[in-house]
Amino acid sequence: MSDDPEPATAADAAGSAGRSSTLTDAATPTETDAAPSEPRPATYYHLAKAVLYREYLLFVRYPANAIGGIIVALFFFGVLFYGGRLVAGRALTDSIEGIIVGYFLWTLSVGAYSSVSNDLGSEVQWGTLERHITTPFGFAPVALLKGVAKVVRTFLTSAVILAVMLVVTDTQLSLQPITVVVIAGLSITSVLGLGFAAGGVTVLYKRIGNWLNLLQFGFVVLISAPVLDAPWTRLLPLAHGSALLQRAMVDGTGLWAFGFVDLGLLVAVAGGYLAGGYLVFHYATRRARRLGVLGDY
Amino acid sequence: MGSPPTTHRETAAATDDTATARRSEPALDIEHLSKRFGSGDSAVVAVDDVSLTVDAGAVVGLLGPNGAGKTTLIKCALGIVTPDTGSVSVFGTAVTDDHRAAYADVDAMLEGARNDYWRLTVRENLRYFATIHGVAPDSVATRHARLLDRLNLAEKADTPVRDLSRGMKQKVSLASVLAGGADLVFLDEPTLGLDVESSRTLRRELRRLAREEGLTIVLSSHDMAVIEAVCDRVVMLADGRIVADDTVAALLSTADRDVLRVVSPDIDAALLDTLRTRFEVNAVETGGETTRVDIVAPGDTLYAVMETLRAADVTVESLRTRQPALEDVFVDRTGMTPDGDDERRRSL
Repeated sequence: MSDDPEPATAADAAGSAGRSSTLTDAATPTETDAAPSEPRPATYYHLAKAVLYREYLLFVRYPANAIGGIIVALFFFGVLFYGGRLVAGRALTDSIEGIIVGYFLWTLSVGAYSSVSNDLGSEVQWGTLERHITTPFGFAPVALLKGVAKVVRTFLTSAVILAVMLVVTDTQLSLQPITVVVIAGLSITSVLGLGFAAGGVTVLYKRIGNWLNLLQFGFVVLISAPVLDAPWTRLLPLAHGSALLQRAMVDGTGLWAFGFVDLGLLVAVAGGYLAGGYLVFHYATRRARRLGVLGDY
Repeated sequence: MGSPPTTHRETAAATDDTATARRSEPALDIEHLSKRFGSGDSAVVAVDDVSLTVDAGAVVGLLGPNGAGKTTLIKCALGIVTPDTGSVSVFGTAVTDDHRAAYADVDAMLEGARNDYWRLTVRENLRYFATIHGVAPDSVATRHARLLDRLNLAEKADTPVRDLSRGMKQKVSLASVLAGGADLVFLDEPTLGLDVESSRTLRRELRRLAREEGLTIVLSSHDMAVIEAVCDRVVMLADGRIVADDTVAALLSTADRDVLRVVSPDIDAALLDTLRTRFEVNAVETGGETTRVDIVAPGDTLYAVMETLRAADVTVESLRTRQPALEDVFVDRTGMTPDGDDERRRSL
């Protein structure tokens, strides 16, 4: 994470002076010999790095959380797969590829949505939300970057879930990394927008957050929306992306083999819902400031 | 890549003139700020037409009972709560108009909040919050190390915060607030829940940081000892309004000075007349065979009182002196105890 060598201990650090003259006043002769350094402004690059690094640290230092999520997701898939096979027999086995792709997209969506809305709730409870509100970067950009960090983390866990599903069901899918990441990423960007809207509502009405989590079960409907029979459903979050992801992973269609209209619609839906969610979040926090409930729990 | 709006961070490239001009602005300027919560009969006026100016480098205590409006005032100053009327400026930048630019200069440790991530180590927290506050963390790594040294946290720099004691967690919270190098820091009840020793350490560190780093600190507390030990100036709030605003010394001078309480069976009416003629007698209480007299006796007056008693051949049963405290001033100005009890009502 660190660009420059970081002092391992305070004693190591004492070799150079701090930013203020008062620090130098209190320094030893060795300290005053070193070149003083001025604080440099952080850029959005630093911000993105800090937010992603924090997410990485929590991921590697507390793997139980991530592993728990993976196990629960696989358990439900197991119930779906083995239970479905008992009931539907060959019919389910024939459509297993589609089910796996849909389930993969669902875990991604749930991860992105709940992590954004839950993260805001956690920050409120920890009292760290105010620190992100009083940032010169602005609250919304920081929240957006935190959302992106959560999506990256969700991709990693969902990739593990996908791999296990393929092994367990002895299924093969076309896994062109760029195609899958771009289409799946744009698909869940719309969900990220919904997460922001839910997060904004949670900031305003704290206890409603748990109820909003129920929305994630609605993602199943969106992922399996009949886009061919009802083309307007392509405008809903996830629906069009889910159809494209099926074609990419089941039929092996490459990213550039999709038409301009398909890709354009995917980007437009993603951008539209993200912008909408971002606006809801922005206005919800503004109202929370007026009501004096921003950060209160 | 772009960077957020900065003010003090640009000082590296700024001219001395810019820095001087900035310093000439008050660190905090609050004008006629009011905030009401709710509406109708249930409406609560949390802050009522408060105006307050804090010069750069000052350490100002916000003193008031629970519900006096301290936290709301701080949140309004931070832009976390939007005031109904009035304005707030931080080093000349209006918080109400341009939050982001103002936030480069200000940070806060709010009451009862963790303020940092307990699953990250102490150093990771400092680096993260410095970045969030708009400072490249590597450029302040030395400052962070020094800060940890000063707060006796250096040995715990790589320990997750959750594994630290309560007092240490509070110090990490303070360190993470200072990590971004804000020039104006709000500390809301920083010693709340700390044991006596931890509270004393934190007070000492706050004094030292204010003196050596030239920080402007606005410290809110209902703990008189903290305010008295750390602050140059005290602003007392009650029912959302400022009821006193002066230096600690000036406020104490308005309180009853040292009071001498004499209890003796030999104090008669004639002696009481003599005492009243020569000194300021606060209270007289006769019970059983003894009489208790409270005499305001600052400095050398004490010797004169004793000489008068000796001349009257009084046998003193007990003798006590009492120093004036900020709490006396507070009770006098607000009629309430720092915990919010109505002293006037209680005395009825």
